[in-house]
Amino acid sequence: MHQSPHDWAKGSTTHTANTDDVVMEKLLALGEYSGEIGSDGFYDARAIVRLTQCLVCSLPLQHPRTLPCGNSICLRCLPQFYPRQNISYPGLPSRQDGFQCPFPECQKEHSVADCTLDVTLSKVMEIFERELGSCQSEEMPVEVKEILDPELSDFESDGGECGERKWTVDGGRLVAIYTLIKRGELYYDTDVTCVSLASDHRDSAVLDREVLQTLKAKITSEVECQVCYGLFLDPITTYCGHTFCRKCLERVLDHSRDCPACRRRLHLPNVLPAQSSNKRLTELLVSLCSEALAHRATVVAIEEMAGSDDDDLTTPLFVCTASYPGMPTPLHIFEPRYRLMIRRVCENGTRRFGMLLPNRSGQLQGELGAAPFMQYGTMLQIEGANMYPDGRSDIWTVGVSRFRVKRWGIRDDYIVSDIERVEDIPILEEEALEALETSLRIQMSSQDLLPPWTRLSTQSLLQIGHNFVDQMQAISAPWLHENNILAFGQRPDDPAMFPYWLASVLPVAENEKYRLLVCTSVRERLKMVVGWIKKIESHRWFCSATCAIV
Amino acid sequence: MSLPKRIIKETERLVAEPVPGINAVPHDDNLRYFDVTIHGPAQSPYEGGIFRLELFLPEDYPMTPPKIRFLTKIYHPNIDKLGRICLDVLKGNWSPALQIRTILLSIQALLGAPNPDDPLANDVAQRWKEDEPAAIQTARDWTRTHAMV
Ligand SMILES: [Zn+2]
Ligand SMILES: [Zn+2]
Ligand SMILES: [Zn+2]
Ligand SMILES: [Zn+2]
Repeated sequence: MHQSPHDWAKGSTTHTANTDDVVMEKLLALGEYSGEIGSDGFYDARAIVRLTQCLVCSLPLQHPRTLPCGNSICLRCLPQFYPRQNISYPGLPSRQDGFQCPFPECQKEHSVADCTLDVTLSKVMEIFERELGSCQSEEMPVEVKEILDPELSDFESDGGECGERKWTVDGGRLVAIYTLIKRGELYYDTDVTCVSLASDHRDSAVLDREVLQTLKAKITSEVECQVCYGLFLDPITTYCGHTFCRKCLERVLDHSRDCPACRRRLHLPNVLPAQSSNKRLTELLVSLCSEALAHRATVVAIEEMAGSDDDDLTTPLFVCTASYPGMPTPLHIFEPRYRLMIRRVCENGTRRFGMLLPNRSGQLQGELGAAPFMQYGTMLQIEGANMYPDGRSDIWTVGVSRFRVKRWGIRDDYIVSDIERVEDIPILEEEALEALETSLRIQMSSQDLLPPWTRLSTQSLLQIGHNFVDQMQAISAPWLHENNILAFGQRPDDPAMFPYWLASVLPVAENEKYRLLVCTSVRERLKMVVGWIKKIESHRWFCSATCAIV
Repeated sequence: MSLPKRIIKETERLVAEPVPGINAVPHDDNLRYFDVTIHGPAQSPYEGGIFRLELFLPEDYPMTPPKIRFLTKIYHPNIDKLGRICLDVLKGNWSPALQIRTILLSIQALLGAPNPDDPLANDVAQRWKEDEPAAIQTARDWTRTHAMV
């Protein structure tokens, strides 16, 4: 007979299938089983309370920060900051301080700016504190006993001397364990057994279940995405501390660069594809909202299946020229197939299509093989259109984002495709690249290969670009004619955008334009631009030609 | 196209926790199309009036803002003859974290605080700046004529 309460209270990490069955049987016998054996309050109390614990200090997370690697940590547990070296882009004062990540699987340098308060996690911690932190009832005492390392306890079980620690705390199992954690008695890894000392074990179980149900309900309402109003699915926490489903954030960034919650510019949207999920929130969701989460995942899967059943070649493509994000592309539409295409995207409300360069030399385009177009392009948004009675039209478009074609086909004579957004490398990699290249010692051998300016800071590279444009303006270079400036706008100060602007106004070869489009690092783009400038300056042909015109 | 969960939830919450002075009910045959009424705020020229609006949630809502228009005629510097509303959150300042509720509250607030410096109806704004008491009286008259039944 398994009648001792001890069996009921095994720590989650040590239980076996057998104990599961035993517990289940007992619950069924008592009529208390509600189908959630894995997360039952008095069964899995230790695992649930562990969800609050900081991996560094083992206390409940206080002012939690979620790092770019997805791990969360108390504010006070962040390691010592130090000034980061050799970084000029983006060069924000807030990004100058860094620290080495204390989590063994990461250990990378993080910028302090990327680690603001995790708003959602902070609210979840408040709920834990409210529900478990201040139990008034002087009843339901629980004896909590530390489970020693299995090997150790095998040796010493009969000895029963020192080492074994135990406490008696009121309030049921969840409250008791949380209380001990707040007191700093239990390490993150420490497992415990709980024995109810209450006269009626049944009451104790009921109390734990009630506490757990309240906890679950309150937390479930807090882990809702503000974009889709569903439970977070693959939660991503932005540098400003706001959390969204990964898919929701992707969609948001198609429309705006601002955080939906606080409108702070997500000036680092390129981190998204590589961004780690918020690990602690994911654990919380899996442990406390498992059913709702499973339901949500199923619904999303069904929706996506329905979408792909239909046809996933949804993006129409226009093969013509090199366009860049943020830069305008005016087009005269006269071919019937493109007239149809433009009309359709206007009617269905997307007003978007992809712009690609033709593949003139038949180069292989990745998995597409020898496609008639280059694989990387720019999504264009139609800003205005002038329709002529004969069906021709002039349209004004502006580049939205870059993409890569994954699959393509033909519909009504124009090309349709399944595409994937292309982003710049994460800002941390960008910073690492700059730090590496600018700190390289000059070596005789490398000097022949790479010109010295490749070791300049990213901001200095931008400055070379600006100086060049200033010079050209001084001699009224024809490509800086006011019509061009009118069309493409004043030169941007943003190092990420400057190369796109220059490539739009400066007459450069098509393959160079394409190289720039494919490039996913701000620093690399600026180097490409400086490369062009150095070539122009060394050949002098540009200058002399210009002077001749003047 | 099935209705996204977000729209279903928003509608449920609008019904469950209604905003005082604001009412929004979706059409049975088109759950993206809402009939809206807003009560003119107290101490404003619109006090006592009940204004009808139409609200439509476009296909890519909440990535793009709802489309809203006054159906009841109203004399207001930021609302034009066609009932279109000049409100930053309905344009560039839209964020997917905003919702029908917050937008309707902003419109109600706009009735309480007309802003003739950011006009949509230029003639009204002009009048508002030149002779505010007269403009307010016109707004009152219009409210009585068009928004009180
Ligand atoms: Zn800590
Ligand atoms: Zn890390
Ligand atoms: Zn979401
Ligand atoms: Zn934010």
